[in-house]
Amino acid sequence: MSGGGGFPASGTARVLAPVSSSRAYQAERPAFAWLVEREVLRFLKIWYFTIAGHVISALLFVVVFGFALSGRVSGVPGVSYAQFILPGLAAQAMLNVGYINGTTSLFEARHYRYVNDVLASPLRWWEVNAALVTGGIVRQVLTGASILVIGIPLTGTGVRYPAVLLAAAVAVLVIGAQLGVLVGSYARSLDQVYAIETLLVLPLGFLGGIFYPVSRLPGAWRLASELNPAFYVVQSLRIGFLGHGDIPAALALGVVYGLAAALTLWSVLIFRSGSLLKP
Amino acid sequence: MDSSLAALSVRGLRKTYRGGFTAIEHLDLDIPDGAFFGLLGPNGAGKTTLIGAVCNLLRPTAGDIRVFGHQHDSREARRLVGLAEQEINLDRFLNVSEILVYHAGYHGIGRREAQRRARELLDLFRLGGKAKSRHTELSGGMQRRLLLARALMHRPRLIILDEPTAGVDVELRAEIWRYTRELNELGATILLTTHYLEEAEELCGEIALLRAGKIIARGSPAALRLQFGVDDLAGVYARAMADHERAFATGGAP
Repeated sequence: MSGGGGFPASGTARVLAPVSSSRAYQAERPAFAWLVEREVLRFLKIWYFTIAGHVISALLFVVVFGFALSGRVSGVPGVSYAQFILPGLAAQAMLNVGYINGTTSLFEARHYRYVNDVLASPLRWWEVNAALVTGGIVRQVLTGASILVIGIPLTGTGVRYPAVLLAAAVAVLVIGAQLGVLVGSYARSLDQVYAIETLLVLPLGFLGGIFYPVSRLPGAWRLASELNPAFYVVQSLRIGFLGHGDIPAALALGVVYGLAAALTLWSVLIFRSGSLLKP
Repeated sequence: MDSSLAALSVRGLRKTYRGGFTAIEHLDLDIPDGAFFGLLGPNGAGKTTLIGAVCNLLRPTAGDIRVFGHQHDSREARRLVGLAEQEINLDRFLNVSEILVYHAGYHGIGRREAQRRARELLDLFRLGGKAKSRHTELSGGMQRRLLLARALMHRPRLIILDEPTAGVDVELRAEIWRYTRELNELGATILLTTHYLEEAEELCGEIALLRAGKIIARGSPAALRLQFGVDDLAGVYARAMADHERAFATGGAP
């Protein structure tokens, strides 16, 4: 080790010697795996905020609305109100977490310019996109699974159609993660990130039929709900858990997969062109 | 020059930003393998734009950039370039050691080798005691050393240093000079941008003066002094800029 601020007398050459310029690129471990790991490590370091906070919040809704108010409101016959709201609350939590993960991770990397470390590396554009989305999905899975591991025994909810539930969950994960990456790419300030969450993501979720069957709403409100993409997210998961919803499973899954595909296509186009990450 | 022999070969580079501002008009530049090359110019001359284009940080409007013969945006080229930017742009979620390890990872290096190399470079740059700290807990000088260590993690052959001594004290400046000299002696090509003319004179074997996105003079410090008939690089700089300004004002070919 250097004693006076310069290099040590020996070993420096070994440490600093550059690689050959003719050597073909060959990864000992895929760079994609490293970026995914970094994305997961980022939120796990502050798990009490990034995971636990959302789980507690969703479960408090189940307890307060599902149990304390269960005598005053009802969802559908044969299903307790706590069972009725659990799928929607899980969907809402997963969407929020996916959105926040993508936005904060990418926006901050752009804002503080350490995204340059990734852009200047051999990582390809689609690996960067896929790694960011995968990081968001892992966080959503941990959050959703935590809510359901506690919420299912707490409410006595079963899984009526596992295949529908699995298909719906995959689409919801992609929607949340891609939405986060997209907003993280476009946002010019943290204010914009939070404004979109507060003014768009949260209201759409709550107005998407988490707390009530949309079929009971008057015509205009019902139509407004049916134009809300979050409605289909909630419905698809609810059908998987409870076996019924306000619309057929095929329609719910068709819309959520269409939405997931559209967001993915949009995200792929902006990453491929590099227009938002690279001036 | 055969571009496959050059560490960096730029042909017809043009960069026009979205707002319509053209930072680089039509730039040709070759930097031989093993050179210590200085890029000087006023703010807005296009130095950082050129570096951004070489390092895949922006999209060139036109032109061809090759690094040791590889297309600049290929993985082979990316693997060969190390960049220490002027700004302290370190991942704020990672600690000092992780910053180096994940950088190596983005270049495809395995975990064991990345960790070994991180320890090695942290020791070399006297940051071993701060391995678990956040970079925000480091002094400005330590952050600057960490930036340099990060740029060297994957053993790049072309090292781009964008004003590495801006705002650092005399001691650290001397230290960075020693690091860069040693790297160059070991075979790395150095592309250095700086506003300190004495730094360029001290370190660089060859210098290019950039103004308004164009190279207006190029040569060794001695050759430039001779060409402009002055005693030092400060004189070269002043004369070259004034000549270019005059040519531009009179409508001549600058």
